[in-house]
Amino acid sequence: MPDPIHQFEIHAIVPIKIFGWDASFTNSSLFMLVAVVLTAGFFIVSMQSRSLVPTRLQSISEVAYEFVRNMLRESTGEAGMKYFPLVFTLFIFIFVANMLGMIPGAFTVTSHIVVTAALAGIVFFTVLVVGFAKNGLRFLKLFVPSGVPIYVLPLVTLIEIISFLARPISHSVRLFANMLAGHITLKVFGGFVVMLLGAGGFAALAPLPLLMAVALTALEVLVAFLQAYVFTMLTCMYLNDALHPGH
Amino acid sequence: MPEPADNRGPGQRQMSPEEKAAFEGRISDLGQLLDKVKAERKADADADLDAEMRGRGMAYGMRMAAELVAAVIVGGAIGYGLDRWLGTTPWLFLLFFVLGFAAGVLNVVRAYEKMQKEFTARAGGRVGHRVPDDD
Repeated sequence: MPDPIHQFEIHAIVPIKIFGWDASFTNSSLFMLVAVVLTAGFFIVSMQSRSLVPTRLQSISEVAYEFVRNMLRESTGEAGMKYFPLVFTLFIFIFVANMLGMIPGAFTVTSHIVVTAALAGIVFFTVLVVGFAKNGLRFLKLFVPSGVPIYVLPLVTLIEIISFLARPISHSVRLFANMLAGHITLKVFGGFVVMLLGAGGFAALAPLPLLMAVALTALEVLVAFLQAYVFTMLTCMYLNDALHPGH
Repeated sequence: MPEPADNRGPGQRQMSPEEKAAFEGRISDLGQLLDKVKAERKADADADLDAEMRGRGMAYGMRMAAELVAAVIVGGAIGYGLDRWLGTTPWLFLLFFVLGFAAGVLNVVRAYEKMQKEFTARAGGRVGHRVPDDD
């Protein structure tokens, strides 16, 4: 059976060592670079004309822009628009990286928790910095809900703190787990097709897992988009907490 | 004033009964066609909204499980760390594990409340298939 984990292996393309640290340019780096270059290239080319009546490509970038803008504005209001570049970058990067991963043979950057944890970490620390910078110590009101009787307040505050600390974990694990699980499932069903084909008379059954793999591919494309959407939506919600704590 | 030569100005002269019947027939045909087109449009819009809401529902659904598990893990990790530090194994771990579970449930309830609000605002609470309710 073909190894379903093999696709996630990282190997160095250009080995680089900096003071004993391994900073090699790997296949993961390569696909990150491809995602960034594709995105930047697409937006530069599509916005070239800047016409009032958009061309087809321009419409796509406008739709992407409006999609993220509406999401951000709905959850944070006008005050959150300052963080649009961050939110938009996150959405597009995750979306493109997920979609690149759907190409057979390609590497899925977001299927490694290091990557998603780094992305979630950026959001987490942005929220902390913005929260304290904008509200000072009033940001801590996030952990002290109003209208709670004083004798359970310490307990509730503890629970709120744990719930706050759990954010970067659920934020990163969800994206990583979905991409990992989806790709493994696809590979396993793909492997079934190959194994059945090599199993003499059972080869007649081979189309069944193949059909399943086709259906799963469609589902995975949906998941690739949904996970980018969920990640961005949560980023907006967390930013909202930083901007308006105590709501 | 001379009468119009064609019969396209029905308000300007008396119509014969047959003409009137034919005219009313045309109106009701047109009305039916219009109703049909409108119903089709509405069904299309409904289906679009339905698909959109289902997508969002799926997005929310995927959140819930991770939300719960992450809080339990964080709670457990904090408790374990404090135990190692203070040498109180296993009491703080047990306490924080339970607190983590509470935090997880809190997160799920919050996410659900937000989802409820959003869906009520968007689709009047309709999500996916409408199932008749017996209460």
